[in-house]
Amino acid sequence: MTRLVLAALALLLCGARAEAADVVIGAIFGLSGNAAQSGQDAKMAMETEAAIINDAHAPIPMLLGQGGGLPHMGGAKIRLIFADHEADPQKARAEAERLITQDHVVALIGSYQSATAATISQVAERYQIPFLSVDNSSPSLSARGLTWFFRTSPHDVMFTQAMFDFFKDIGAQTGRPVKSVALIYEDSIFGADSSGVQRKMAAAAGIKVLADLRYRANSPSLAAEVARLKAAGADVVMPSSYTNDAILMLRAMHDIGYQPPAIMAQDAGFIDQTFVNAVGPLAEGAMSRSSFALDAVASRPAIPQVNALFRARAGKDLNDMTSRELVGLQVLADAIDRAGSTKPEDIRTALRATNIPGAQTIMPWRGIRFDQNGQNTEANPVIEQIQGGHYRTIWPADVASAKPVWHVGE
Amino acid sequence: MLRRRRRRLLAGGVALLLLALLPLPIGDVYTLNLLILTLLYVGLSQAWNILGGYCGQISLGHALYFGAGAYVSTLLYLHLGLPPSLGLFAGGLVAAVLALAVGWPCFRLSGHYYAIATIVVAVIFYLLALNADFLGGASGVYIPFKGDSWVALQFRTSKLPFVYLALAYAALVWLLAWIMEGTRAGFYWRAVKDDPIAARSLAVRVLPSKLVAAGLSGFATGVGGAIYAQYVGYIDPDSVLAMPLSILIALPAVLGGVGTLWGPLLGAALLIPLSELSRSYLGGSGHGVDLMLYGGLIMLVALWRPEGLLGLFARRGGAGTHAGTA
Repeated sequence: MTRLVLAALALLLCGARAEAADVVIGAIFGLSGNAAQSGQDAKMAMETEAAIINDAHAPIPMLLGQGGGLPHMGGAKIRLIFADHEADPQKARAEAERLITQDHVVALIGSYQSATAATISQVAERYQIPFLSVDNSSPSLSARGLTWFFRTSPHDVMFTQAMFDFFKDIGAQTGRPVKSVALIYEDSIFGADSSGVQRKMAAAAGIKVLADLRYRANSPSLAAEVARLKAAGADVVMPSSYTNDAILMLRAMHDIGYQPPAIMAQDAGFIDQTFVNAVGPLAEGAMSRSSFALDAVASRPAIPQVNALFRARAGKDLNDMTSRELVGLQVLADAIDRAGSTKPEDIRTALRATNIPGAQTIMPWRGIRFDQNGQNTEANPVIEQIQGGHYRTIWPADVASAKPVWHVGE
Repeated sequence: MLRRRRRRLLAGGVALLLLALLPLPIGDVYTLNLLILTLLYVGLSQAWNILGGYCGQISLGHALYFGAGAYVSTLLYLHLGLPPSLGLFAGGLVAAVLALAVGWPCFRLSGHYYAIATIVVAVIFYLLALNADFLGGASGVYIPFKGDSWVALQFRTSKLPFVYLALAYAALVWLLAWIMEGTRAGFYWRAVKDDPIAARSLAVRVLPSKLVAAGLSGFATGVGGAIYAQYVGYIDPDSVLAMPLSILIALPAVLGGVGTLWGPLLGAALLIPLSELSRSYLGGSGHGVDLMLYGGLIMLVALWRPEGLLGLFARRGGAGTHAGTA
């Protein structure tokens, strides 16, 4: 009899455990339309992280890597509801409202294009629901005094700062500092913002800008621009270009026999495997900032397992974008877990108290801590260099897997 | 003729009343959002219809007037504190002036050449805005929220005010089209559309009547842009000045029936919910099913009812209800 009661009790307890209500999070990305691939990749990154948190599996050495749901919430599972904004700010706004009012999500996460984050963050503010921006890089997003906005990713100013910090370090190390740069950038929001920050930081560092070239994105030829780069003869060429333009640029350089001492790219096209495959040896030695280092396994032991799980879903390795998206969900889930509640106000309080060391994630960052604007101040980017056809992390030293190859001043 | 016009006005009044009652039982924010967008596009498409439908000057650059209204009202609010409830008229005026400025040289082109010229001008302004720092450049402009207000046209989460604002907008543009149908200018427009040379031989002043249509159309489109900006709270060149928007503005009128009073309403009532619902409930799949549906529908209408969906009713109801025959 006693045994029966105990068994019934155990069953009841098990039942209660399994019934811990799902934590519903709304994820808004451009799943169709003209940047659909980035949205689909983001979706797979999110699903990978949700599976890591929810499912039973061999423990992964990172925060919430043990599986089996959120430990402080009775093993509650993360459930993601995806919405498609088609890269349109108006649609992003409508979808955010729909997720909040119809699906009763406890938090929002997104959204790749900065313009869509602009409207999602406004909706979140009005409905008082936390919005975690995982991969939007426009600095203006965290400069509007919003109180429900959080961003784990570095923004463009932080990204560019890393390049100039690297220039200073390598100059001191080798005795061959950067004296001049040439800027070349495409004409949309990405290129405009990136070059604007670079111009200011070059001036502040006393580095001369010998060329300042804006080109129409996806133009059929960059021969004229590249000829001007050659004439300028700067120490470092700094492109802000998407994949097609990056390929075009290196081929044009090759055609006129121009090899700049160094290329330091603002991510995007220069960190795309398609680019390396297309230009092959021409890309050797090119550098780019990144916020992810796939090869930093010595200091971030979770990378191989997480990457294998992502690869099984997406058929490719984690990259700069997908890693940030994945970690964004990890940070949000951790905040909900620490809050022990799905009330938006409690989640916000927990997000504000976030203090995760970098080694508890797959990112090469110092960690995750939000300032009063919701910006993660510990998200220091890394510099990667293409060596032997592969991206190798060369800076900062604590996560580097290779030594920089530095030809400036030779 | 007069009786028919009066009957149409009466029908318009009934439609307005029904539409005004429609949102009351709806508590759901998403559905109200759908209604707002649909009504906004009813107005925008009717505005396009004045120039593109009645006057027959196919413009594929109306995003320019929409964007002008959005930017002017927003910047006046942010920099000079002019409330958007007034700013939308300023936006409309600037858009009208732009429409006249575009029309003056371009109306000398005919047919396809005019349509191409409108695309080119709109793209030029899109690129200029992308690179203009005082317009926020590619980063766009945020409209900060300062509390519920009819003066500033801002409402935290309630949707009803915008439903009625959009309804008033759609109704007024409809009324404008109704009025113009009965004026001398309205008859000139239809004459110009049918055959500009024959019209001129009958002493129709072709260029001035085109300019009147352009000015009115531009004004109404600009006001719509200003309402959109207040509704969404954020504008950037890609969302208020880009080429796809020009198509979206023209599409409901083309689908519903060009140069008719009810075409834009019918087209928008079908297109906008279809595109929004299919995105929300099918778009997440990532297979682009929503876009295929959308494109497929347009192709079907183009093949079977090139004169627009209103043609369906005209055939069944006999001649006379179809304004194109007027």
